[in-house]
Amino acid sequence: MALRQRFALTDETLKYLLLAPTIVLLLVLTIYPLVFAVAAALQTVNVRTGARSFVGLGNFINIFRDQLFWNALKNTAIYTGAGVIVEFVLGMAFALILTEKFLARNVFRTIFLTPMMLPPIVVAIVFKIIYMQQYGVSNWLLALVGIKGMLWEAGPATALFSLILVDIWEWTPFMFLILLAGMQSIPTDPYEAAKVDGATWFQEFRHITFPLLTPAVLIALLLRLMDTLRIFDQVFVMTGGGPANATETLSLYVYQVGFRFFNVGYATAMSFILLILTTVISNFFISRLQAEEVFTQ
Amino acid sequence: MTWKVVRYIVLLVSAVIVVFPVIWVVSTSIKNDVDIFAIPPILVPQHPTDSRYVDLWTYGLLAYLLNSMIVAISTAAVAILIGTLAAYSLARFRLPGKWSGRVSFWILSTRMFPPIVTVIPLFQLMRFLGLVNTRLGLVIAYTAFNIPFVVWMMRGFFVEVPKDLEEVAMVDGCSRMRAFRSISLPLVVPGIAATAIFTIILSWQEFLFALILTQTSASATLPILVSSQVTQYQILWGQMGAAGAITMVPVLIFAFSVQRYLVRGMSFGAIKG
Repeated sequence: MALRQRFALTDETLKYLLLAPTIVLLLVLTIYPLVFAVAAALQTVNVRTGARSFVGLGNFINIFRDQLFWNALKNTAIYTGAGVIVEFVLGMAFALILTEKFLARNVFRTIFLTPMMLPPIVVAIVFKIIYMQQYGVSNWLLALVGIKGMLWEAGPATALFSLILVDIWEWTPFMFLILLAGMQSIPTDPYEAAKVDGATWFQEFRHITFPLLTPAVLIALLLRLMDTLRIFDQVFVMTGGGPANATETLSLYVYQVGFRFFNVGYATAMSFILLILTTVISNFFISRLQAEEVFTQ
Repeated sequence: MTWKVVRYIVLLVSAVIVVFPVIWVVSTSIKNDVDIFAIPPILVPQHPTDSRYVDLWTYGLLAYLLNSMIVAISTAAVAILIGTLAAYSLARFRLPGKWSGRVSFWILSTRMFPPIVTVIPLFQLMRFLGLVNTRLGLVIAYTAFNIPFVVWMMRGFFVEVPKDLEEVAMVDGCSRMRAFRSISLPLVVPGIAATAIFTIILSWQEFLFALILTQTSASATLPILVSSQVTQYQILWGQMGAAGAITMVPVLIFAFSVQRYLVRGMSFGAIKG
């Protein structure tokens, strides 16, 4: 017994021991690439000879002169901004409708979750089929109401819009799910008090629902922003960044520079800009969340 | 019209918009070319055919399916094992100073990394280790990006197990590990199952790492099969639909089986739902 106690782990040792594998693995697989990336971003590799040379901040300076980079940044900004705003508004509307009690409400709730459960790659190909030019459902529907068919994801003017539409279809359910859960966690007392005071529906929403929904709103926006800023799968499959770079997002451009043109230094430097962008945005939201005491025990 | 009627109309129209693409991909996968290019488009194929699935099978479907299954299940097993231990530590013990919070948020922040940032260095590392084009390479990559998720999910589940339960057992002479195994662990089994299913789904549908870390059917997963039906010269609509359906159906079944935990899973355990 005494022997066993001497070898038994104390809580003090155990807590580090249990954390160790996670921390080591995450260090190796996130900090190592980061360090590697810093080194790579400061170098340029001659594709023909494979020789590396130090260019300092040369890659970063080139980025600012690169029309294609600005184009990709602009596309990412439009995709993120338009997508997330529309998803938020629609998600909020559906959450408000489906908090009320009525027949078959739960059936609708379940059905509306379907899109976000699909693999993104599958969503991409379904909409490619739906957008098909001569035989697609989308153009057939337009023809029914007398509108001339569009090129959708294949037309330079409509491509980005078509991709955003797919994102809205796929991810409005996510906003809906998180906001609905947030609404359900609000206690009923304030609403009863508001009823007694004769508050209108809008006053209830403005002064009770919305303030108490803040944590859910922050989480929904944070996770959607992170996902849209990095958008790759759907764009890669549906348009490959085309036509004429109309849908080239940051992730896609980095991929092309790194894995098609093998300019690893330049690709890494650009991916850094994306990393800084996402870090600034996510830190803003996470500090707000900490202030709201979400994510704490 | 009253609000009640309008509400049902809005909901019904939305439901059709939501469900239609899911049905359409299955419908396309059993259409022959005449039906695929029919105007007006037809929902129920006039000449249903299994030829798309047969074509995929001869293309090597089985290899992709096996790769996806092996990678997803291995990833879930390893990530759950490692992540659950860390989650238990973060839920039960306090690190000195503010380090508990810092470590938790550092773990979470690694999940905020855009994958394109890590994929280039990771590719170089895997090439150096000879793990490009292997399932092991994918499992390692997927484990890394699933662990933050597992830690946050499981931490939430452990926090819900009252500390007292373990402490009573320890007063009775249990060691901490024994108390963990025989008291806390059994109580979080539903949580582990849900987290494992989420992890399997995430690995099953992952595309970017799969695209870069695999080149042949030695390790290529189903999303690669789906995207490879869009070739340089033409799009194989029927096969694409079939590959999509095969990728989609297990995910849908899994996702609806953890619907109870969906809010938690989608919000990293931040909202209990």
